[in-house]
Amino acid sequence: METAYAQALWQMIQSGTAPKKALSALHEVLALRGRTALMPRIARAFARIAARDQARSGIVLSVAQKKDEKLGLKAIKDILKEMSVKADEVALNVDESLVGGWRLEGRGRLVDASWKKDLLSIYNRSIA
Amino acid sequence: MDSSVVQKIVKEIEKFTPSHESAHVGRVTAVGDGVVAIDGLSKAVMSEIIIFEEGKGKKLADSLGAQRELYGLILNLEEDGVRATILGDTSRVSEGMTVKSTGKILSVPSGEELLGRVVNALGEPIDGKGPFKNTTMMPVERQAAGVIDRKSVTVPLQTGIKAIDSMIPIGRGQRELIIGDRSIGKTTVAIDTIINQRNEPKEKRPICIYVAIGQKESKTARIVEQLRRERALEYTIVVDAPASAPAALQFLAPFSGVAIGEYFMEAGRDVLIIYDDLSKQAVAYRELSLLLRRPPGREAYPGDIFYLHSRLLERACRLNEEKGGGSITALPIIETQEGDVSAYIPTNVISITDGQIFLIAELFNKGVRPAIDVGISVSRVGSSAQTKAMKSVAGGLKLELAQFRELEAFMQFAQDLDKVTADRIASGVRMVEVLKQKNGAPIPVEMQVAILYAAGNKFFADVAVNKVTAVEAQLAEYLDGQHAKTLAEIKKSGQLSDDTKKALNKAMEEFQLAHKELFATD
Repeated sequence: METAYAQALWQMIQSGTAPKKALSALHEVLALRGRTALMPRIARAFARIAARDQARSGIVLSVAQKKDEKLGLKAIKDILKEMSVKADEVALNVDESLVGGWRLEGRGRLVDASWKKDLLSIYNRSIA
Repeated sequence: MDSSVVQKIVKEIEKFTPSHESAHVGRVTAVGDGVVAIDGLSKAVMSEIIIFEEGKGKKLADSLGAQRELYGLILNLEEDGVRATILGDTSRVSEGMTVKSTGKILSVPSGEELLGRVVNALGEPIDGKGPFKNTTMMPVERQAAGVIDRKSVTVPLQTGIKAIDSMIPIGRGQRELIIGDRSIGKTTVAIDTIINQRNEPKEKRPICIYVAIGQKESKTARIVEQLRRERALEYTIVVDAPASAPAALQFLAPFSGVAIGEYFMEAGRDVLIIYDDLSKQAVAYRELSLLLRRPPGREAYPGDIFYLHSRLLERACRLNEEKGGGSITALPIIETQEGDVSAYIPTNVISITDGQIFLIAELFNKGVRPAIDVGISVSRVGSSAQTKAMKSVAGGLKLELAQFRELEAFMQFAQDLDKVTADRIASGVRMVEVLKQKNGAPIPVEMQVAILYAAGNKFFADVAVNKVTAVEAQLAEYLDGQHAKTLAEIKKSGQLSDDTKKALNKAMEEFQLAHKELFATD
């Protein structure tokens, strides 16, 4: 039940209602129905929905070293165009475990051009 | 490091071209009891294989030599994401983990290399004999052959069990259910059937697949050892999804088994597949369905439990000549509780199959083994696959035994029985003895014909009831040693000609003369 209330709250905010106003409207409804005790659970469900939305819409470019950022952004230019994403929407992340290359993840897609992937693939084929 | 490995690495590096790998991904939002909820994967399809990305954030050194990739199988497509079952160790999956779609439907390897091997429900070898090198991938879920591609069942599949081959004959491409309570010999009937296939000429011998679902590992190990000892493992593949395996693997194992079998069927070979047992598969599927939050129906089974078994068993068939003429004969096993055949799963499978072999605890406890109740057992299509020789000796057998069972109750008040009734009871008692058979000792069809011919001609009428089995064994030995030509003739022609009958009569007379002491009832 808390998920349904959280989804309603989320939709209100998404459709332009001010968060404070939306929250007080929800509180009013809950008080009328005698369900104010649900508030903490609704808050948690809301946080989950927000996290999910962020994970869906966010896009992260991971590189092995800070200095590889420019190279990475240049390499993903065509992919971003294909995904209809502007370069400034891409969050940058440094992940040393990649060894080299880059890795783009977000909006339901993963493009892996990391050296780690290549090295693992060579290793696995060699020992097979 | 081994120099050959170094050479391989050098070769791999030489032919390496940098590329990027693109995949649709989702994220694990919940995991528990072997089932994961995944957010995303909007382009996923049913039964698609997904890969859990365990290496993210791990250092290269830690990822080298890690366990093989962890796969999942998509079973529910929902509004916000998908639900999938983990095909492996659940503890390796954590919330937030990235999941990659593969665009591939679950497939298992099949081919000659699998013969004599034990594999899991994913077709991976688990017998320690090394990986497969040259196999063909076969889809686990697939439409059964259509009506036009099929041919009616006409070729017999000999089980080596007298009671079955004579009264409940099975044909290649048939689906015959073996049903009964626990520990009354269901698996024994199936294993004896596999063992008996060694009596078939190599070119006509069916490939046997034994699918163990939810069984104890010790039982499967014992069966594998028995098959090896009886030289039956060389033409058998064992698919094992033990009781300790996740429910998903137990549900998948029969489908993997039949997918392996389809490879051979499409190559024009005959296949015998045993599902031991489908009640456990139904329980595993129920568990999975409840975890996937599918609505429960009767006995908490999901609504598509009938479809689960029908789509599996429909894949057993005999293909026509244009399609290679191969076949899959299925012997599913169902375990009943206290002999209740009217429970949900037994009735479902009874209605799907082309006949049933009922094993009864009462007969088992009386010492009648195999404990087959021939009165209620039936084979709907097998009679057209029975050889003429067997038909001629087994024609009236079922009726005779049914009449005997009716009269059996009167035996307790036997003082006033008329001669006809007393004779019928005496004959019935001996026939029951003749049909008894030790486990692991299937009998070639020509020998069965000879023994049943002898029984039908009152050969055992003067033998004490408790000696019938021993006399039968001696007769079999005598025929095998002294009249091998006659037996070979029955096997070759599949008929019981007048000359063969004369030869059998002569053999019986000779045996009676040589063993007079055995033919005096006390």
